[in-house]
Amino acid sequence: MNTPRWQRAIAPLLLVLFLIIGGCAATQTSRFDQAQQESTQSQATPAVSKAATDGSKFNKFFPNSGDGFSRVYTQEKDGFANAKLEKDGKTLALMSINDTISNPAAAAKFQQSTKSIGGFPAVNQGNTATAVLVADRYQAKVTSKVPEFTVSDRETWLGKFDLAGLARVK
Amino acid sequence: MSKSIFEIVDKLPTGGLTVMSLKSLDFVIPGQWTNPVGFENTIKLITGETDEALIQQIGDRAVHLYNDKSQGYQRAMWLYETVDSASSALGAAALAGKIGEDVSFLGFLSNLTPKPEKSQSIDLCIKLVVELVAFCQINGIPGDSIGDFVASLADYSGESLMRMAALVCFDGLIPLGPDFALKGLNTLRGLNPSDLGNNPVFKSVSSLIPGGNTDGQLNFITKSFDATTGWMNGFVSDRGLTPEKVVDNLASFVEISKDKLEYLGAFLDVSTNYYYHTGVQTLARRLIERAFAEI
Repeated sequence: MNTPRWQRAIAPLLLVLFLIIGGCAATQTSRFDQAQQESTQSQATPAVSKAATDGSKFNKFFPNSGDGFSRVYTQEKDGFANAKLEKDGKTLALMSINDTISNPAAAAKFQQSTKSIGGFPAVNQGNTATAVLVADRYQAKVTSKVPEFTVSDRETWLGKFDLAGLARVK
Repeated sequence: MSKSIFEIVDKLPTGGLTVMSLKSLDFVIPGQWTNPVGFENTIKLITGETDEALIQQIGDRAVHLYNDKSQGYQRAMWLYETVDSASSALGAAALAGKIGEDVSFLGFLSNLTPKPEKSQSIDLCIKLVVELVAFCQINGIPGDSIGDFVASLADYSGESLMRMAALVCFDGLIPLGPDFALKGLNTLRGLNPSDLGNNPVFKSVSSLIPGGNTDGQLNFITKSFDATTGWMNGFVSDRGLTPEKVVDNLASFVEISKDKLEYLGAFLDVSTNYYYHTGVQTLARRLIERAFAEI
């Protein structure tokens, strides 16, 4: 039986179409693809601004060790410093300071703040984090690593940062 | 273009020889290593958060930080990957012929050549120095801070502690015996810079080892290794570790023959990539902690 001419003509077109659809389906997609594209294109804005304050300048504003609590510094990067809060060798929380100049969205969330710590706007984030914004720029954050370390513990420890000193960092 | 961090973490295996050999070391550091894999899953495990919008923000920030080359994460990734593949390159050609078959120790024995003690010692020392350099890249501490690194070893936990346990057991105790740290140090002290320059593992990572030239790099490696021998010997003696104990535990997870120790080291070298596997996990943890803190 002869295949009608129009069917013969359309067959290659259909084949191409199937290949295109198949090719798209084979490409894995991830909810983080957009972030990957944004941060790898040729004119991508670096994740950390050149103007960010060096993390080493933040260390002296963290709460001190004492009363059985130890502060152990863990990271010191551009615009970021991080320390663990430990008791009896167990990590209770992470404490950090970062310069939101690299990530203005982090500062913007404080516009919804309804409470203050040390006179600075404070917010809760998720179930485990509480943060304050100092001088509209520096964010101090405490994140619980065990359930016993509650929101009120986080607020207490944020109050132990030298927030006024941090506000004077240029 | 280099691979995305989420793709790398998503592709970490949940089984296979690397994972089984690491699981066999649970008796060394009980409960410390749970093999976290998958990027989203790792975010949830590390932060304890479940809100999807928050997880998206944390992941997005982590992706941006990883892709900012000035932040050192990609250099650390390269180091973990390179040191692992270089140390196994010698046996990889033989292993390639086995693709598609079950890679078992006995089935593979005829293809294995144990490394001479000298190059095994150099590999151990370079892997340790790579840990130091990668630690500094990830955590932002100046690259030659031997003192900071040694102090932080006492604070190692989870995936990082598992990597060190595997280094001590699989690259120290099994191939070199109980006095592996001393053997490593003596090898370094008797080494010419040109011997070091010819070692394939050193060659692969030398561009990121501090010291300026091979002479200076040998000096840096010797000083670093010397400074950590106390920690390694303490790790072994505190836990009463012996090559026999390590092999006994390994035998309950992986099919091996206990009377061929010198081949076992070579087998682990070519059939596992524990440095890369746990290195990715350490890097992901630090990156996610930072991302959550910064958003």
